[in-house]
Amino acid sequence: MSLMDVQGLTKAFDGKTVVSDVSFELQPGTCVALLGPNGAGKTTTLRMLAGFSRPTDGQISFDQQSLSEDIRQYTGYLPQFPSFHNWMSGLEFLVYVGQLSYLTKAEATERANELLKRVGLEDAKKQRIKKYSGGMKQRLGIAQALINDPKLIILDEPVSALDPIGRREVLDLMRELKKESTILFSTHILNDAEEVSDELLMLHNGELVEHGSLEKLNHLDQTGKIQLNFAVYPENLESELENLSSIQHVRPVGQGVEVVVRDMDEARKEILQLVTVNEWPLTKFEQAKTTLEDVFMKVVNS
Amino acid sequence: MKWSVIYKREMMEYARNIKWIWVPIVFFIFGIMDQITMYYLPKIIDATGGMPEGAEINIPTPPPAEAFFLSINEMNSLGILIIGLISMGLIAGELKNGVYELVLSKPVKFANYVTAKWAALSTLVLVSLFTGLLAGWYYTNILFGDLGFDKFLTAFLIYGIYLIFFITIAVLVNTWFKSPGMVLFLSILLIVLVNLLTSAFGHILTWSPGHISSYISTYLFTGTLTGEMWGAIGTTIVLIIGMLFAAVEILKRKEL
Repeated sequence: MSLMDVQGLTKAFDGKTVVSDVSFELQPGTCVALLGPNGAGKTTTLRMLAGFSRPTDGQISFDQQSLSEDIRQYTGYLPQFPSFHNWMSGLEFLVYVGQLSYLTKAEATERANELLKRVGLEDAKKQRIKKYSGGMKQRLGIAQALINDPKLIILDEPVSALDPIGRREVLDLMRELKKESTILFSTHILNDAEEVSDELLMLHNGELVEHGSLEKLNHLDQTGKIQLNFAVYPENLESELENLSSIQHVRPVGQGVEVVVRDMDEARKEILQLVTVNEWPLTKFEQAKTTLEDVFMKVVNS
Repeated sequence: MKWSVIYKREMMEYARNIKWIWVPIVFFIFGIMDQITMYYLPKIIDATGGMPEGAEINIPTPPPAEAFFLSINEMNSLGILIIGLISMGLIAGELKNGVYELVLSKPVKFANYVTAKWAALSTLVLVSLFTGLLAGWYYTNILFGDLGFDKFLTAFLIYGIYLIFFITIAVLVNTWFKSPGMVLFLSILLIVLVNLLTSAFGHILTWSPGHISSYISTYLFTGTLTGEMWGAIGTTIVLIIGMLFAAVEILKRKEL
């Protein structure tokens, strides 16, 4: 049973299609990364899911319910650049948004204090938000997204603007959160996606180009890469290698070559044979795993 | 209720940025400055050297009704400007700086969001107007003669509706543009247009909101509320409700 079911989601601004026919399902308890370069339509997609902008076309159903009900009571949303009422204190702001989410003042205060402790803002809770640093605002932004104990947490680029320490803190927090809720977050940084997410959605030019679990996408590219280095660069190296049926492509890199292969086992055998026969001074033979980056570039460029 | 949560937060904001202090003070000054100047004008002229010999200007003391109306006149120009200034960022400011993203990602209805903000601003303006007109009425009684308290109260209530009409125009314009400067310019332009149209076609548009202040002037002299006055009040209230609806609908349909 899926938590959120998105079918044919499309958004056009003034006739220009920004998100086109995006369909996916979110399983409860997963952490899903929406990956794509800047301008891919990530923010637009998330804003539609958070209820800010109406889809031009398509359906979003939540927890088997149709969208006629206000799904905002079940979701928490952190925009890419959260702004607050800067004259309020962190605690006041959380109590305010808590009361907007059907909590009584007492409940909202209790929950706000709990969350402030959790995101490490307990000491600053009485301070005006004006005085908060960027990282503190981001953490307050996460706290406000959690105020109503949401079934789905939507985070737009939660770590992109943070320094390494802030980034680490937020990633750790997300790893904790995914134990109790479902998270959908966008990022253009593959590392962040690899680090916390179970599933990936890849968006490019408004279209969903890949969808699947991390492992599945890692294995997507069956062709592997082999890195070969030599003490002395052999003559005819490239042409000899390219003659092998198991090899797709050869590219010189530094002291050696990078070989893209069709079949790893076959290629390993043939290359080593060639090395022995020609007595090439091989110094390094490394089988490189295709990284997410390669998958992404491949998907995007195909 | 979520409506009252937004309303209270707005009230808290007016307290923190001291609007609760300066707006009533400014309206207080607008309320009394004309009466005081007019009363002391002969003394001021004397103190600054007096009139040249032979010149004689007789400044008649205005009747109390006219003296009190000077306060409303000031509200009509400077008061409108101040209201324009404090309402130009009401919604537009939040749309521009992005706070709305956090507020509207919570289950908040647009109608609550708009009307709570509108009501909060109206409260501030009505309290300020009350302060200003009460002071004007008090000085009128001291300096120019008796004017009944009921006259003050009626004038306050009716003119209050007119100022809420202006606030509603500003709220509506707030949902069109994100730039507060543009909102200020358009709100003032619209109220000026209403008044211009009213003076140009006054004989047809007898129920126009633009007539309200001149009807109040008549009322202060005669003490009776005419049918035209009731008509203008009715039109104004209908327009206020209509504009609030429009503001909510526009915000709903807007690509935020």
